[in-house]
Amino acid sequence: MSIVRSKNTNLIYPGLLWFFIFFLLPLSVIFIYAVTARTPGSGEPVKITFENFLVIFQKKHYLIILLRSLKISLLTTVFSIIFSYPVAFFLAKRTRFDKVLIVVLMIPFWINYLIRTFAWKLILSENGVLNQLLLWLKFIDEPLRILYSQTSVLLGLIYTYTPMMVLPLYASLLRIDDSLMEASMDLGASRARAFFDVTFKLSLTGIFAGTLLVFIPSLGSFAIPAILGGTDSVMIGNIIENQFGKVGDWNLGSAFTIALALLSIALVLFYSRLFGLESIYKNRDVT
Amino acid sequence: MNNKKPVLLTIYTTLFFLYIFVPIILIFIFAWNSGEGYSFPLKGFTWQWFAEFFNDQLAKKAIVNSLIIAVSSATISTVLAFFLSLGLLRGRIRRSGIFLTLLLLPILMPSLTIGISALVFFRTVNIPLGIPIVIVSHVSISMSYVFIIFLGRIESLPLSFQEASIDLGASWLASIKDTVFPVLVPAVVAGWLFAFMISWNEFIVTYFLVGNNLTLPVYIFSQLRFGISPKVNVISVLITLFALSMLAVFLVSRKIYDRLLSGERM
Repeated sequence: MSIVRSKNTNLIYPGLLWFFIFFLLPLSVIFIYAVTARTPGSGEPVKITFENFLVIFQKKHYLIILLRSLKISLLTTVFSIIFSYPVAFFLAKRTRFDKVLIVVLMIPFWINYLIRTFAWKLILSENGVLNQLLLWLKFIDEPLRILYSQTSVLLGLIYTYTPMMVLPLYASLLRIDDSLMEASMDLGASRARAFFDVTFKLSLTGIFAGTLLVFIPSLGSFAIPAILGGTDSVMIGNIIENQFGKVGDWNLGSAFTIALALLSIALVLFYSRLFGLESIYKNRDVT
Repeated sequence: MNNKKPVLLTIYTTLFFLYIFVPIILIFIFAWNSGEGYSFPLKGFTWQWFAEFFNDQLAKKAIVNSLIIAVSSATISTVLAFFLSLGLLRGRIRRSGIFLTLLLLPILMPSLTIGISALVFFRTVNIPLGIPIVIVSHVSISMSYVFIIFLGRIESLPLSFQEASIDLGASWLASIKDTVFPVLVPAVVAGWLFAFMISWNEFIVTYFLVGNNLTLPVYIFSQLRFGISPKVNVISVLITLFALSMLAVFLVSRKIYDRLLSGERM
């Protein structure tokens, strides 16, 4: 009965309209800003230019920050994979309490990440908990200066986004049939070989999904470097913020923002080519 | 496979959970510690910081604003996402895959890009910064999440429900109100709570759009940027407890839903 279907179809318009006006349209507006030159006088015609994008690569200052942001986000992603893989594996394959533990692991998502970042300020500061502990254990003679450095930004990002990696990893590991690994061992593979050739390769979906959820927000983060970082840990997000402050250059800031958006869209498209986006819905369903 | 107890893995996982939760516990401890510093040994028990927080008018204002924004944006985005998912999955859309991908963008893009583009857009069309546009932008973000929550539920809801009720004489509107909606109530609750928490915790987009007003995350950020006081711990404790109770409501409502479903099958 297609009358119901065609009537139902009309229901998409309010949401779709909202999405176009308040999400896609603003994106197009900054895209226009990004490809036009600033016109200080009102009389001048607006000029289309790629100058704003070129500036990002030409000015050494910006290039350094861009590369640094990529480095920090990449490190965050790598460490989050390393840290969470064993946990995801344990949850998926070695315990009966995985459902409960996953719920426990959801708790940090519900707590504001500014607060979680604040905790790291307490831990890392010069007379903070970590230094006190290390001094007390006599591992060090004078307090380490970790806070306001790239290290502390990295620690904050890893801490904030690692739980994001556990969930998709867990979901992908859960789907792997144990008998596959047994079969490969029966056929003569060593334990390690069977793990890497079977389990690890099949869990790549989870690793990539987790990478999207960790890498993209890290790259666009600005609160964590602003709170935990110093002058050597300014990231793209902080530059973008500056451009939209009191004395900013909107066109340049828009170019940065568009670059960030394009990079994340490219990653998402790359992922959907490989695995299809449905896997993200499925992963989300775990939460 | 092997029945050996995975000792190392268990230890590692325990350490991992400690790593996730010890920082949060530390915040709690220092909320009741007297003395300004954040160091051990603790100096003594005090409610001083709580008193200071409750006398802070700015913080109160921030809480009220955050609540207004979270409630309104969650409500709007739940309604929109409900219609959207029903229309896309039970309507006559040929290439719904494109829409699904588009709707994932707000989730997968850094919220910074969403915040900046909203800022530029609203300034360009001369709409002043403030709470209304924060609400609007929060809807654009949370709608996608709620939409995904609905997708899963609607997939398990056959069109024949609606068709049957129309065959029996109901109008199209009534068929949605009386057959589709009741089945989806738990998803509506879950989606609303989820959208509420997204908005309640949202910082970046809010920071750019809120103008001279404060929301709780913006307030916390300003406190963190300019030196820290145990007052921040108190806020953190209160927010965390609030978040946990919301999570509990979320989980309980899902439990009830599962019960109802399995009850129907019996």
